[in-house]
Amino acid sequence: MTIFVDELIVLVKEIFISLLPLLIIFLIFQFIRLKLPKEQFLVIIRGIVLTFVGLVLFLLGIKVGFIRVGELIGQTLGTLDHNWILIPIGFLLGLLVTLAEPGVRILALEVEKVTGGYISRKIILYFLAIGVALAVALSMFRMLKGISLWYFLLPGYCTILTLMWFVKPMFVAIAFDSGGFATGPMITTFMLALMVGSSAAIKGSNPLLDAFGMVAMVAMVPIFSVLVLGVLYKREELRIARLEKQDRLKEEKEIGNANSISHSLDR
Amino acid sequence: MNIIKDTLKEVIYAILPIALVIVFFQFTILHLPTKDFLNFLVGVFFAFVGFVLFLVGVNASLLPIGEAFGATLIQDEKVWLLMGFGFTLGFTVVIAEPGLQILAGQVAKSSGGEIPKYLLLVMVALGMGSFFTLSLTRIIFGVSLLKILLVSYILLFTLALFSLPEFFTVAFDAGGVTTGPLVVPFILALGVGMSAIRGPKAGTEDSFGFVGLSAVGSIMAVLILGIIYR
Repeated sequence: MTIFVDELIVLVKEIFISLLPLLIIFLIFQFIRLKLPKEQFLVIIRGIVLTFVGLVLFLLGIKVGFIRVGELIGQTLGTLDHNWILIPIGFLLGLLVTLAEPGVRILALEVEKVTGGYISRKIILYFLAIGVALAVALSMFRMLKGISLWYFLLPGYCTILTLMWFVKPMFVAIAFDSGGFATGPMITTFMLALMVGSSAAIKGSNPLLDAFGMVAMVAMVPIFSVLVLGVLYKREELRIARLEKQDRLKEEKEIGNANSISHSLDR
Repeated sequence: MNIIKDTLKEVIYAILPIALVIVFFQFTILHLPTKDFLNFLVGVFFAFVGFVLFLVGVNASLLPIGEAFGATLIQDEKVWLLMGFGFTLGFTVVIAEPGLQILAGQVAKSSGGEIPKYLLLVMVALGMGSFFTLSLTRIIFGVSLLKILLVSYILLFTLALFSLPEFFTVAFDAGGVTTGPLVVPFILALGVGMSAIRGPKAGTEDSFGFVGLSAVGSIMAVLILGIIYR
């Protein structure tokens, strides 16, 4: 249990230092500009205290629980003869984590709203989850082979920067935001620790070069996924526009016909 | 009451699947000593309780702060004042982001202390603060997000050519990590506050793009750090 106490002391200090600027800024703004009513002010202060306690406990659990075990699992898998097993395991974990990520659910809802329900929440969720799972699996592959991150990020972002001119600007904004939504607390802590652990266990692998970069891949894939959905949606929009135009032409024709009939009757 | 119920569900979804996979590993391939495994279980408990308290706290504090800031910021006529507020806010919020704390710790450990934790934290916060400010000013001047993104990413890859390779991987990781459970809701709330003042039409389109553009700042800051280290 001593490990908990030791970490706790470190964390309380660290989190206090990192939350302090926010508290100070808020207090300054409160007195010179915001001037929120006292009740609301107290609720916010209480919220900040709660955030502090929550953050300390959360990071304590992550550090002592998840990160340690993540590194150990990584080490165990990395030293196996068949360490390619990391690839399917990465895929599975990526899938699980994304489906569970609250940010991704919010994003899915947003896209559904923007496309008026044409792209449903479920489709986005599965699309993203499989995308992220592939990203994690690819990162494992990259780590095992020691391939530079360049060969993944450069073509990836080139494609993204080209695709974005073919969708509605709204989709571009959502797409780039989604990269941030997908990289939740579990990917950035547990999965990263697992990769650092296995990279350290694999001979000739440098964690800084090979293990890091996984989050970068996970952040890139959703941008691509959402843009692809945007292209699909644009086609649908064009189709609807064409149908409407046809309907209008047909109507005009009918009106025209009706007019000519009435003309001939008049005569 | 609903908020607490939703939060509980959210946290269970986030933590439970991974915890179960680890338990499965423990009994199949891992076989950690009982003491370590118990430590893990206690850790899961702490992470669970902590995450719930954290989210409830963010809901009660950071979200209203973000909305209030958003509403007052946009009323400001002076652009430099808005930029100042934006930068200070971006900087202070990202410093507290839990994911970034963890990443900085892991980087410090992996590099054997060569890349100190606080240096990385402050650098990322500076970068993120700057680009958050940029994304605010973009809205005032109505500059196209696509153009800014195109220029930014070309700049990123150019900087990466001159940066140490270790910093390249860490940089793009930092971009993803800074947009975590603290920064994202805060930025979204700020956007909501701003659009509430500016009217619904300007709103929807402008409330997106902050997160994506801010992430660019974090990446750039670490790449620049990598050039300095060279």
